[in-house]
Amino acid sequence: MRVAVNLAVCQGHARCEDICPEVFGTDAVEGKCVILTEDVPEALRDKALLAIRNCPEGALRKLGDK
Amino acid sequence: MSGAYFPPAPDHVPPERIVDFDFFAVPPGLEDPLEIWRELLRRDVPHIFYTPRNGGHWVFLDYADVVEGYRNHALFSTYQTPIPPLDPFPVVQPQGVDPPEHNVFRRLLAPLFTPIAIRALGDELRSRAQKLIEPLAARGSCDFITDYAEKLPTGMFLHLMDFEEERLPEFLALSNTFFRSTDPEERGRNLEEIFAVLNAHLSAKREKPWDDLASAIACGTDKAGNPLPWGDILNCGFLLFVAGLDTVTNTMGYIWRYLAATPEARAYFRRYADDRAMLQSGIEELLRINAVSNLFRRCQSDFVYKGVQFRRNDRVVLPNNIANRDASIFERPDEIKLDRAVNTHVTFGVGPHRCVGSHLAKHEIMISLIEWFARIPDFELAPRTGDVGAFGGSVMGFRTLPLRWTV
Repeated sequence: MRVAVNLAVCQGHARCEDICPEVFGTDAVEGKCVILTEDVPEALRDKALLAIRNCPEGALRKLGDK
Repeated sequence: MSGAYFPPAPDHVPPERIVDFDFFAVPPGLEDPLEIWRELLRRDVPHIFYTPRNGGHWVFLDYADVVEGYRNHALFSTYQTPIPPLDPFPVVQPQGVDPPEHNVFRRLLAPLFTPIAIRALGDELRSRAQKLIEPLAARGSCDFITDYAEKLPTGMFLHLMDFEEERLPEFLALSNTFFRSTDPEERGRNLEEIFAVLNAHLSAKREKPWDDLASAIACGTDKAGNPLPWGDILNCGFLLFVAGLDTVTNTMGYIWRYLAATPEARAYFRRYADDRAMLQSGIEELLRINAVSNLFRRCQSDFVYKGVQFRRNDRVVLPNNIANRDASIFERPDEIKLDRAVNTHVTFGVGPHRCVGSHLAKHEIMISLIEWFARIPDFELAPRTGDVGAFGGSVMGFRTLPLRWTV
């Protein structure tokens, strides 16, 4: 599975990083989302999906999803 | 204030959308001022309504509309929004400015409040929390508001801005008057005092900068490298002063009040003291249910939104606490589930003005919970002698929270 962030929508709540720090980080300048792994390992799939659902801005999605 | 006289609403407001509601007025004896919002829901009022109280303003009650109020700055501006209207009122930077102009100051503040920057403050925060809690633990009782919830965020503000630690009582007094005084003369004087303190400090920092928040603002430049207007710099300092102290104090007051009354919740935080993910979900849920801030917006023009006519300069109140209890977004919204899996609360707002200090606030709460439970694993509400001092307005809370425990 792959995930993507829309940085025009991300406002740096960092809920993704809280929930799944293996996949999502934040940058040091604006505090916006940084995707840390191109491919999300199967073992982290559920956690990464939960992080996506917790974004208050709807700035994250699973690639292939619209 | 509520009274027998009910002021008229402007002509564009249809009678069926007029509700008599005063979010500053807490009925005598009510201990939880957030109840006045929930009482409103029980009255089955329209979810977009107008009250003529406090100068007259709209209120949005649904999550979707509160979010729209935050995101759609073409309709709902953050510029000059005080309720009741207060003139002149400083244009606070960057909170009181719409995008893209708000980015001039947001850009200065953002790097200092990222999760990375806040994690680096962990040791400082922990030692401050310990220093406050240790003497209390031995005492067996405290007033949580005055002994802890006011002191931690205000002390942290002094640290970040590089003010002398000894000035804590002075800042507590300034902040209390700013948020609670209803006397216009006292409010005017208080505003002058706050600006005098900021002017002296930021001027000194501009002369001799250091690696602190005050210097970052005082020496701030625009993208071309030109110094920013001094008035804007002062107003940015003012924002940090008013936005970061009272909100955290009152949120913590609510959280500890709930914990003191709820053994299962205390057990949860003891059990998960070392489990970051469970701690965080517990804190997010406590933030959802105990959102204390009501944000204001001002209509940019005449427009129709969801079939309702709004006029330029109409004010709108966005109650985060009610948005956070919208059943179309949150499963069993009135139930407090510390392990709630999906929780997109708007306690810190959404959109371009998302609370820049949210990560500091959360870190202050998390470290406080860890250090408190390590030293005071069990506690309860203590009997009160006087009134709880509940207050409404832009930030809701109470002035006293006596707690006790076995030593």
